[in-house]
Amino acid sequence: MSEPHIVVRDLSKTYRVPEREAGLLASLRGLFQRSYRDVEAVRGVTFDVAPGEMVGFIGPNGAGKTTTLKMLSGLLYPTAGEACVLGFSPWERRPDYLRQISMVMGNKSQMLWDIPPLDTFRVLGEIYHVPSAQAQRTVDELVALLEMEDLLTKPVRNLSLGERMKCELVAGLLHRPQVLFLDEPTLGLDVSMQGRLRRFLAEYNRQRDVTVILTSHYMADVVALCPRVILIHHGQLLYDGELQGLAQRLAPFKLIRVALRRPEWDPEGLPPGVDIVESENGRVTLRVGRAQAPALTAHLLNTLPVADLAVEDPPIEAVIDQVYQEGVS
Amino acid sequence: MYHLRLVGQFARASVQNELAYRANFWISLLHSSLGLITGVLGLVVVFGQVETIRGWDLPSTLALLGVYQILAALRGLFIGPSLEALAGMDGEIWTGNFDFTLLRPVDAQFLASVRHWRPFALIDLVLGLGVLVAAVYQLATALSPLRLVAFLLTSLAAVTILYALQLAFSALTLWNPGFLFTWVLDGLFNMARYPVGLYPGWLRIVLTWLVPVGIMTTVPAQALTGTLPPGTLAGSLGAALVLLLAASALFRFGLRRYASASS
Amino acid sequence: MSGASANLRGGWALVKATWASWMEHRGFFYLVAFSWMIPLLIYMFIWSTAAGEGTVGGLTRGDLASYYVVLILVNQLTFSTNNWTVGDAIRYGRFNFLLLRPLSPVYDALASEVAVKVVFMTFALPLAAILALLLRARFDLSLANSLAFLPALLLAWALRWLWGYWLALLSFWATRADALLSLQESLIFLLAGQVAPVVLLPGPMQAAATILPFRYMVSFPVEILTGQLSSSDLGIGFALQVGWLFVALALFVVLWRAGLRRYSAVGG
Repeated sequence: MSEPHIVVRDLSKTYRVPEREAGLLASLRGLFQRSYRDVEAVRGVTFDVAPGEMVGFIGPNGAGKTTTLKMLSGLLYPTAGEACVLGFSPWERRPDYLRQISMVMGNKSQMLWDIPPLDTFRVLGEIYHVPSAQAQRTVDELVALLEMEDLLTKPVRNLSLGERMKCELVAGLLHRPQVLFLDEPTLGLDVSMQGRLRRFLAEYNRQRDVTVILTSHYMADVVALCPRVILIHHGQLLYDGELQGLAQRLAPFKLIRVALRRPEWDPEGLPPGVDIVESENGRVTLRVGRAQAPALTAHLLNTLPVADLAVEDPPIEAVIDQVYQEGVS
Repeated sequence: MYHLRLVGQFARASVQNELAYRANFWISLLHSSLGLITGVLGLVVVFGQVETIRGWDLPSTLALLGVYQILAALRGLFIGPSLEALAGMDGEIWTGNFDFTLLRPVDAQFLASVRHWRPFALIDLVLGLGVLVAAVYQLATALSPLRLVAFLLTSLAAVTILYALQLAFSALTLWNPGFLFTWVLDGLFNMARYPVGLYPGWLRIVLTWLVPVGIMTTVPAQALTGTLPPGTLAGSLGAALVLLLAASALFRFGLRRYASASS
Repeated sequence: MSGASANLRGGWALVKATWASWMEHRGFFYLVAFSWMIPLLIYMFIWSTAAGEGTVGGLTRGDLASYYVVLILVNQLTFSTNNWTVGDAIRYGRFNFLLLRPLSPVYDALASEVAVKVVFMTFALPLAAILALLLRARFDLSLANSLAFLPALLLAWALRWLWGYWLALLSFWATRADALLSLQESLIFLLAGQVAPVVLLPGPMQAAATILPFRYMVSFPVEILTGQLSSSDLGIGFALQVGWLFVALALFVVLWRAGLRRYSAVGG
């Protein structure tokens, strides 16, 4: 195994934000005094990312994902801790470092608004010292991968959100970065456009072996692209590992699906601590703590006319949803 | 070389951007002409009532207006649009698009200062030169080569001071993104339309020492009319250098602050 | 009737909400107020320097200072931001939101008018007081002048607002109608007592100022309050002010109806 591309140790970030209250009187009071409060956006996060790896950053809104990405790309100074990307300390913002990374943000645009994308690409090529022949080749390649030949000569303001996102990706990849930070790249796109961007990113990662960190609210992005996920909640790292392991670690329950030979049965007979997720025409889904699952299975087989029985992990979306809503106990 | 090429690319992209709306040319022409006409008529009204105010007569004040117009044109050409795109209304600092600027492998101050060009500002330049030439013809004394050199040097100092001030006021936005500091400068810069001598004493001090917009037009106009007080030439060049260094330091300091506070 | 009172309540809620959100951004509005003031401040300084210890056109330094202090306040009170925002709303399709509300868009305009005036005054009044002290402004107010000032001020505000509004409505037909607003600002600057009190303007400009509507949007009430007008000037002035107001109202109504028809025909 080669040296990791990204090394993060105990990274923390605290903001000071002004507090405001609603209402007329409060806004009048705000004339004379402002109160502040500290927000710990990221608290002691530690992880490594190997070259060519694709890692999904997940967590609810305000979990600290974007803050972490911004520290790694050199946009923010951390309050404490260290990070090293490609051997550089990101927040020194050395030109040699910035030429090797790229950040694509789904909610911000780096395209020039009133002129065609090709002209933005030319300016960017100049900024990043990309020889024009190579820039041309890279654009051609990416344009072919993204199927966007016909967009290159239209003013950016006339493009749809999805079309613009394709341009953002070309703009971000023009200088062939080794490390790519993708912050919500599929934000606001329709399902088929999301799928195309995912296929593109997977293909690009395979061809060029770039290291990618991706944040997204759409679990489908992460499921499709990232064998490894890092879950952040309230600024803390809750899980780092394979996507599949996440469910086992974080969802302390299993789903038991039972098909009965007779539709009528008595739910009263279930032991305590078992939730009925659904029950319809003799098909019952029960939710039970991981440790209790074997005993309940035996109990069901003994007491009910079972035709079929399966024990499953809950779907990943449900697990994530539960973490986002309740946190992890 | 690399930096010059970059400037070329930015100017080219900006020209394309501006030409996307043809009407902009006519609107710019209208604005520039209106600005000049109101400025000249304003002076005509004032000097219709009095011959001179504190040693300034109509031709010399007109020459100063020409200097102002030229400075405003240079400011409008790239300093203004670039830094306004950074720190102005819906500017990059406010929207967060400044992140992209910081991600570029180029000095952030350079990038932020030359990125946007407004070619139509050249209209102001032509109008300003016209006023200046017209004023010089009306001056009581002839223009000597020595005065011309002094004028060019003080104008260089003026442009430098203008850039430094614009940079400093933009940098302040890094501390408080919600406040349009550059608008304060816009307001103060307007005061440079007239000689600092026409303002009350306390304001003269503010406009000379605190926010030296006054030096920018008064001193070159004095050089042109041959009324430059001794030592002012060296003083304005020195002030320009000091201000440039101070503004750059402030901007750098602001970047650190931005990087530690934004979300 | 109940519909109308509901609208009034809605209108008042709008005023409160607008005011709250404007107070939230007061830094911005103070800045706007500041930049509107600058040209007036410049000429206030220049004229008081020009007067020195003597007089200019019969006005002393104290007279000029008090004239400009009141002018600054009146200018803030009569200046309408709607003129610009309405045009923008039409251009960028935001007018749809306004038309969707069960409330005439005029309420929206009035709400921001009232709110903005209050916010601006929290800035302009203290500043005007400081300026009056610094420049030793001299006020001798007569009761009659003060009484005439108030209706003149109200009419000036109405005239400036309606005049700007009908200009902004031209955006229904021409996308860059805001260029006309710049022209109007220049004319106001030259002819509405800003570059100089109207009595100090050279002959042709003074005549134009007396006939055209711009003086009656800003400086007319100020001239009344500072006692620059004879009673016959006062009568003619009020007549012209009211006359121009009717012209503006007629243009506003005509353009509003035609504009809405066109807007719904072509879509936003």
